[in-house]
Amino acid sequence: MPPYHSISELSFPGTGACTHAAGPSEIECEVMRLFEQFRDPLLRYALSFGICMHDAEEVIQEVFLSLFRHLQLGRSRKNLRGWVFRVTHNLALKQRYANQGSRVRMNADETNMHEQSDPSPNPEEHLSNAQRRQRLLAVVNALGEAEQHCIRLRAEGLRYREIAEVLGISLGSVSVLLARSMERLIRADGR
Amino acid sequence: MLRDELHISDEELLQAVDGELGTRRAAQVQAHLAACWNCRARVTDIEAAIAGLVRAQRQTNQPKLPSADGPRALLRAELAELARQPAIHSAIHSVIHAWMRRTWINPARLTAISLAVAMSGLFGGLILLHRASHGLNGNTASLERGVLPESNLTPGATRAVSIGEVCSILHEQVVREVSDSVRKQVFEEYGIKNARSEDYEIDYLIAPGLGGTDYIQNLWPQPSWNVKWSSYVKDELEERLHQMVCSGDLDLPTAQREIASDWIAAYKKYFHTEAPPSRIGASVLPDLTQQSAGGNI
Repeated sequence: MPPYHSISELSFPGTGACTHAAGPSEIECEVMRLFEQFRDPLLRYALSFGICMHDAEEVIQEVFLSLFRHLQLGRSRKNLRGWVFRVTHNLALKQRYANQGSRVRMNADETNMHEQSDPSPNPEEHLSNAQRRQRLLAVVNALGEAEQHCIRLRAEGLRYREIAEVLGISLGSVSVLLARSMERLIRADGR
Repeated sequence: MLRDELHISDEELLQAVDGELGTRRAAQVQAHLAACWNCRARVTDIEAAIAGLVRAQRQTNQPKLPSADGPRALLRAELAELARQPAIHSAIHSVIHAWMRRTWINPARLTAISLAVAMSGLFGGLILLHRASHGLNGNTASLERGVLPESNLTPGATRAVSIGEVCSILHEQVVREVSDSVRKQVFEEYGIKNARSEDYEIDYLIAPGLGGTDYIQNLWPQPSWNVKWSSYVKDELEERLHQMVCSGDLDLPTAQREIASDWIAAYKKYFHTEAPPSRIGASVLPDLTQQSAGGNI
């Protein structure tokens, strides 16, 4: 089994957060660094719950405020990457519960789908690539919820153990769910 | 998952690709791959599917993500505000933040606030204004420590369950034991050290009788006595919701949503009262532990 990285082992891009004249605390700096590193992956993950962009942005704000309180209270620093994904998962789920009463769940990949221009050299290839893309995304959207969460978390770079912790399932289940999802993707890919 | 006894399963091939196999097994798989064209072709299929999916996601979702400038400024201002408060007041701040989320903030205002905060530190004033004008009256119950779970740790989790299944057995019969390891994990999540077993129950936010699971996202340490909104009060609510679902007066998703969102508000709504009867509220003594009904251990 490969080593299980703690967040302190990972490198962070500079944010300028700690050059503030008012002198933010060490914890503030740490939270801002983590925000820079994980805001986009967390936002993508929150959106996969079918909540709107505004709600997803709010979820991410709450995640990092919770992280600040977590660190301020001296709680565990072990694997903070897994921690922020887990809290995002929980808050996005809660937001979806709250939304269910008022609106119908929409598919994240459909609602947020704005395609980038395809650099393919000719129209046939462009069409073929677009069709393949649609096919693969359709397969992901048709997967069970746990399978979707697994594959999206894996795509964001989480290790199996971290995915298991985020979803509250066993390591074995993660492996089975990922393999099952992959088999469907391969089949859809015509291989 | 084994495609053939002589070949490596897809599950293990994926683990190998993901670097999730132990050193010894990884070496065995590599040795097999060196000799087996079938399994190598399968690895290529897996790699191609991963590459295709990553490309598809990159070309659809990523350009849509808005700039982080506004959220970054807002977060920085909120952190500065939190850092000025003692740790114990942070929870109050989170209530205010949640309230603002529900009632006031929209994306345009969010951006405007971010800019204003960056320039003048107005946000702190806004928070104080909200605190003064609303006095947290709408949610005083949540300040009774621990009676509501922390939503970031315990949002609630459900399993696929039919009404028939929910109603075919008595509510009390679906109470499940939570293992010691899970119990310990829940306490750790909530930063509770040296908890006395008589002070807390590991409670299901969405009771099993309402389709709740025993995942950790559905469990929290609820004070069992000495608080007005104790676990015994929640038991009553669970029983009431279960009856209403089974009599057709309430649909199951609504019951799950309401108990997960704010079980105290749900109690007030369905019992038409602002406070639980004193026989199960703050006056409950530890010796009532044996009377605990559904949803708890």
